[in-house]
Amino acid sequence: MLGRLKDWYDGFRGAGEYAITVPPMDGALRPNTELDQAEPLFEWPAPDNIVAVGAQVRFSSGCDVLGFSPGGAPGLVAHHSADVTALAAYGEAMATGLASGEVLIAGGPHDGKRLVASAALAITCPVALAFQDADTLLIANGSDRHGASEWRHDLLTRGATGSVWAVDLRGGAGRCLARNLAWPRGLVALGGDRVLVSEAWRSQLVVVRPGAASDPVLTDLPAYPGGITASGDSGYFVCLFAPRRRLTELVMREPAYRDRMMAEIEPEYWISPSLRPMQSYYEPLQGGTLKKLAMIKPWAPSRSYGLIVQLAPDFGPLRSFHSRADGTRHGISSCAVIGDRIVAASTGGDIVFALDLGGNG
Amino acid sequence: MSQPSEFYSRWRYRLFPDHLVGEVLAKNWIDNAIPFLILVTSVGFFSFFIEDLFAPYSLSDNGRQIGELLLVVFGMTIVMMAGGIDLSVGATFALSTFCSLAMFNYFELPVAVVIVTALLIGALIGALNGFLIGFLRLRAFLTTLVTLIMVRATFDTLVLNYQVEVSMAMRLSDAWDFIGNGDLFGVPVSFVVAATIGVLAHVMLTRLGIGWRIQAVGGSRRSAFNAGISVRRTVFYTYVLSGTLAAAAGVFYASRLGAAGSDTGIGLEVSALTAAVLGGVSLGGGRGSIAKALLGALIVIVIQSSLIRLGLRSGANTLVLGLLLLLAVAIDVKWLKNRFKVLAKVYVSPGYLRLPEIGRIDATSDYRDNNRLADVTLIGLEEVEGPEDVILDNDDNLYCGSRHGDVIRFFGPDHKRWEVYGHIGGHPLGMAFDRNGNLNVCVSGMGLYQITPQREVRKLTDETNRSLLSVIDDSRMRFADDLDIAPDGKIYFSEATIRFNTDEWMIDALESRGNGRIICYDPASDTTRTVLPKLMFPNGICVAHDGKSILYAETWPCKISRFWLEGPRKGKVDPVMPALPGYPDNINRSSDGHYWCAFVGMRAPAFDLAQRMPAFRKKMVDRIPHDEWLYPNMNAGCVIKFDETGKVLECLWDSKGVNHPMITSMREHKGYLYLGGSLNNRIGKWKIPGADPTWTGMADYWGAK
Repeated sequence: MLGRLKDWYDGFRGAGEYAITVPPMDGALRPNTELDQAEPLFEWPAPDNIVAVGAQVRFSSGCDVLGFSPGGAPGLVAHHSADVTALAAYGEAMATGLASGEVLIAGGPHDGKRLVASAALAITCPVALAFQDADTLLIANGSDRHGASEWRHDLLTRGATGSVWAVDLRGGAGRCLARNLAWPRGLVALGGDRVLVSEAWRSQLVVVRPGAASDPVLTDLPAYPGGITASGDSGYFVCLFAPRRRLTELVMREPAYRDRMMAEIEPEYWISPSLRPMQSYYEPLQGGTLKKLAMIKPWAPSRSYGLIVQLAPDFGPLRSFHSRADGTRHGISSCAVIGDRIVAASTGGDIVFALDLGGNG
Repeated sequence: MSQPSEFYSRWRYRLFPDHLVGEVLAKNWIDNAIPFLILVTSVGFFSFFIEDLFAPYSLSDNGRQIGELLLVVFGMTIVMMAGGIDLSVGATFALSTFCSLAMFNYFELPVAVVIVTALLIGALIGALNGFLIGFLRLRAFLTTLVTLIMVRATFDTLVLNYQVEVSMAMRLSDAWDFIGNGDLFGVPVSFVVAATIGVLAHVMLTRLGIGWRIQAVGGSRRSAFNAGISVRRTVFYTYVLSGTLAAAAGVFYASRLGAAGSDTGIGLEVSALTAAVLGGVSLGGGRGSIAKALLGALIVIVIQSSLIRLGLRSGANTLVLGLLLLLAVAIDVKWLKNRFKVLAKVYVSPGYLRLPEIGRIDATSDYRDNNRLADVTLIGLEEVEGPEDVILDNDDNLYCGSRHGDVIRFFGPDHKRWEVYGHIGGHPLGMAFDRNGNLNVCVSGMGLYQITPQREVRKLTDETNRSLLSVIDDSRMRFADDLDIAPDGKIYFSEATIRFNTDEWMIDALESRGNGRIICYDPASDTTRTVLPKLMFPNGICVAHDGKSILYAETWPCKISRFWLEGPRKGKVDPVMPALPGYPDNINRSSDGHYWCAFVGMRAPAFDLAQRMPAFRKKMVDRIPHDEWLYPNMNAGCVIKFDETGKVLECLWDSKGVNHPMITSMREHKGYLYLGGSLNNRIGKWKIPGADPTWTGMADYWGAK
């Protein structure tokens, strides 16, 4: 009774659960322009899911998987029947997730293996992959309700139906490690049977293990975390693909408006985060993003943003690399670590670039 | 798709005037609303229980008490407005009563001497307070508490020893009786005197230097001191006044009852304090008025006498007063602290607006995207700020406004050098030359101004007729936007909104109410009249080529209409372009007999939907900060050319928004189009293919020179 009363009062006052706040970018997350200043490697339409395979780097673009060597031009590696949603590599083996709900293995001992979504293996929306060892593939299923391309739907309806699976490639049996995750977009196998997972819509990183509740290790991020990559010094790089904005948070809490918007308007014009800087005048504009003196202010509440955060082994943020509202290298969901450089794919900026860590990381 | 909920909200927001709540709260007199409500409520409440509360004899008796209380409350108010408090008024009142009786009954002094001496005693006690508090800077509360005890002790001693002597009314005096029980035109004398003193005190507080100094000291001692006000002396005077007024009340009491007892004046300071605070005189000082004191005193009298009539014992009576005082103090603190917060929350009141469905602009649309404005030549890059409108004269000089309140002139023909043509002070928006070469300018926040060829700046008008039912004062101009001049010399100009200032213009988009109007200024008779009220952000105005009508753009409803100046439909409005895909701004003539119109932004579907859901916009305004609000998409804009039937002939885009993300005006001159933007720092010059290279606006309006 008292709880209901407090809930009603909070709703009336906009306090507690109803407070619409977003953590500031401060401390290790203080904004800079390092992503925009990083060395461009080449331009390519909507590159994503970048992964290091030996000395080569592979990435996806639509239905294609492409590869390039440092300094070289990208070449086609494979063409698939559906959009590529996730890539992972282990030695010579490479796993490819498709929007159609399939995961294909190429190279290595399980070359040619094909995993398909089924009642026992709910991977209709494979948005992240990682090898735990040569024979075990971790698959993150973004959502039970939405496909990989419908990430905006899942975010705005506050979906939390994602899951993480460990599949034994020798037999093909899958084991669910965790359920009710809010769009697990990144995976890294830790030691033992623990897995580090980025829960995008809850803006946190959690460690999951079979049979135990998931353990949040980094919470209250100001953006939606995507791919995680282990760095050479046992730390991590996490790519945050879109910023949290208060207007989006408000829309999530206003079902009357949200439902009509989702029913009547094209998804790219919704009030929602975006991977790309504003391209069309049909996109919604927030007050601070209004151009003054023909420029967008870097602090503007834009729909898209570029952010890579370096984490210590204990998951605390060490430093960050930004492309702010007035930059273009937005929507970075994945990066690969090559020596002391990060190679990152900016989906919204249509570019692959390399970031020098300068050895002082 | 129309939903049942939308039917409800359409009528709900059309019928209920949400915006009035904020407008009423913004008024200064709203401070008095709460005490007034309390008064009305208590009168209603008690007259329900007491039948003859307002019978004549009851009124007359109350009137005498009110007169006495009022005098004390006025004194208390003056002290409180200077930031102090006077707890000794009750004791002063009692001592004055005793002394008056002693002088009148025992010493048998003349009435005039009695009155003057009694007042002097009060003034002396006040002077003691004032000296201690004003000059020695002691704490007002403690000091007057001590004075209260001291004066009270004196009074008690005197009463104990001489009560019988002073109360023996052996002497008869008409003057004395008149003061105590007489009437002037049926009104008790004490009330008449209190009313007179009230008027004087009001004049003093609001119109005389001493009153202003009192308010200044109460508002901020330090600032008053820095401004050269003698803070100590001002404080001193307030206590002298308070003591004198308390003593005056004592004289009336003495002449009315002819006796003094140990309970005389007990609790009077609580009543007076309650009355003042309940009326809205702030305990912190600086805020209050005689009217507030009057309201508070009336409430206290009504409640006090009603409680007595209801048979409550006097102890309970004081308890009720104490509770009231507590309530008043709480309201005072909370109200002062939160009034502007509440105002900020409730002022923005979104309305329902449904724009016509027009689908998306595709490759076959008249408005399809092109990048024809990519090759503009830039004028004044990073030298001007906020050229909302641009205009050219016969010598090819280019004029534009700037955010700094200047009209800038770029010298023709190359527009490289510039000078400040005239400084007005507000941001100049729309501009138009009249027949004599005067530059008429709409200035945001100021009104309609003119710069003569001799560069003299003149105000033409800054107020129009006040409409009958508006709560907000709509006679002053807040946001004169664009103008044009009819062949008969009348200047028609738009005022975009009467509810927001220029820098808040986007908030008006969130409201989308009929907050704007079109006004006509007639230079011949120097009169200003509103011709079209309740428009939604009327913006561009252009007199048609034949001079018989004006075309005007309403920005938020995305439409252009025609207002007839003459002909069979004189005074009527016809739609010209009822469903634009963007937000129209200025309209100007083109050389081929048509019109240019600038789009300040484009309709974004998410915003269109929000316009149909006012409750959502209200919540947005409540819950998230200004910079995060949803706006129309104003980072893209274009220029269209249209004919009188509303057909689109041409469309010009800067699709990347490199130079002209938001276009608010364009002006054709000798084959070129000049582009302005109210948030931009450049003017664009674009060659119009095939346009008449000799055409100028001046010649088109006023004939060749």
